[in-house]
Amino acid sequence: MARTGEGGKWAPRLLIAPTVICALALTVLPLGYSVLTSLREFPLGQSPVFVGLRNYASLLHDANFHSSLGTTLIFTVVATAFEFLLGLGLALLLKEEFSFQGLIRSSLIVPMAIAPVVVGIIWRLLYGADVGLFSFAVQALTGKSVSVLSSTTLALPALILVDIWEWTPFMFLILLAGIQSLPQEPFEAARVDGAGSWNIFVHLTVPMLKPVIVVSLLIRALDAFTVFDQVFVLTQGGPGTTTEVATLMIYKTAFRFSQFGYGAAMAMGLLVLVMFFSAALTRAFKSSF
Amino acid sequence: MPRLSVTQRRRLWFFTRLTLIVLALAITLLPVYWMVNTSLKNQVEVFTSPPTLWPQNLTFANYVNVFTRRHLGTYLFNSLVIVGSAVLLSLLMGSLAGYALARFSRLQQKLNFWVLAPRMIPPIALVVPLFLMLQEIGLINKKLGLILVYTAFNLPFVAWMMRSFFQEIPVDLEEAAMVDGATRLRSFRDIVLPLAAPGLAATAIFSLIITYNEFFFALILTSTPAAATLPVGTAALIGKTQTLYGEMAAAGVVAAVPLVIFALLVQRHLVRGLTMGAVK
Repeated sequence: MARTGEGGKWAPRLLIAPTVICALALTVLPLGYSVLTSLREFPLGQSPVFVGLRNYASLLHDANFHSSLGTTLIFTVVATAFEFLLGLGLALLLKEEFSFQGLIRSSLIVPMAIAPVVVGIIWRLLYGADVGLFSFAVQALTGKSVSVLSSTTLALPALILVDIWEWTPFMFLILLAGIQSLPQEPFEAARVDGAGSWNIFVHLTVPMLKPVIVVSLLIRALDAFTVFDQVFVLTQGGPGTTTEVATLMIYKTAFRFSQFGYGAAMAMGLLVLVMFFSAALTRAFKSSF
Repeated sequence: MPRLSVTQRRRLWFFTRLTLIVLALAITLLPVYWMVNTSLKNQVEVFTSPPTLWPQNLTFANYVNVFTRRHLGTYLFNSLVIVGSAVLLSLLMGSLAGYALARFSRLQQKLNFWVLAPRMIPPIALVVPLFLMLQEIGLINKKLGLILVYTAFNLPFVAWMMRSFFQEIPVDLEEAAMVDGATRLRSFRDIVLPLAAPGLAATAIFSLIITYNEFFFALILTSTPAAATLPVGTAALIGKTQTLYGEMAAAGVVAAVPLVIFALLVQRHLVRGLTMGAVK
């Protein structure tokens, strides 16, 4: 398709230059600066000191950081799994023509369009011990008054539930689009051969949907792994550190305690993990079906 | 289980489906309704037990309060300036890049990665250095700082989306115009751009939604009403109002409503937007 018109070789490069320059300014530059920052310490009121790999060494022995990674992992795996299964279910439920289909679809995607901060507000109103609809329902059912967000056992599941509420629509939309774009012939042939719905689903729908499944799981898992907004609004990591996900811990370290060097080191560690996981996940999916 | 006739089975499936769909709708919409409901109640009614399912004494006081006492108007204004500028700038530069990527395939192979890379890096990995860099040039707590960050962040998205829209426009149309003596620039302006307009609009609304809802960068790079955006202002309000749930809900409604409407407008392109063209 490449064409050298009167614009010559330079026109396309000129068109794309601003974007690439900005992209570099936002990746290579800060990442380089981040590596530099992670090798330093920032004592209050003094200029930064070069400390070599000390921050990374502390990272390896920091039990709090490890436990926050664990929390993040639980959050990511549980939330993504539920979102995928529920989204797939909804997509299968709504893939055929149905009255009010447009209206139902529009309603189902509302949570996704709401700012995460506002989602936090919505669930604060539901979880609140004194006013919450959710708490009221629990009290009516069990006779016990619970403050979900200040319970060490319930806070994390409560946050996961919020994430599931907000992002199941995302899985639903993408899987629905994927299902609807599949060619019809193999399904018709299978039905003519007398295959049951379950067999068709396992041996036809899922394998054919594989690329879409990979994309949707990757996008969601990566987002969940760096979740911040709802946790910040709902629990700030509490009670104690039971819901302190990695991003929140980095935020507190760098911006509440001004330990920029250690915060940057943590962020670099997290980045490496994210890259490793997404590579592994992509590879696993490519070979497993 | 007794054998059911085909009609019975069909009817059973129909009712199961209906029940599940209604259940999904209720779970999705009830929490949102509850926010709207709470925002229209007075402070006494908010704490009534059992909770009232709709406001018994409808009041708009919470909405008046968040604007007069809680600076919500200022935050809204900041958001409009910052989001508007960033979206405009990124559309201008990004759609040109998208066009180049769509029409010059050699270029595309070389630059795909660099255009997409910023999108793959989680914000948390960039925020510490960005904060320190902006601090050094005095752009912390300034609208300009956030505009620059948002523009750069939107660019890859816009370029990638517009690439997929431009690719759908047949090259023949442009070639025909160029054979007739139009320059590439003219054929771009007169033929390609009008055809890509719906895609451009959808891309604009998408970047608007993403930028307007963004919280993490805004929280760290702005903090005072001088530059803080609506999500940051709303989050700060949660800390300040404590148990003034009505005001909290009203702020939430103000922040959410315009965006939900926008999202419904671009529904048709939603999947493409969410996966950056990976799934259409």
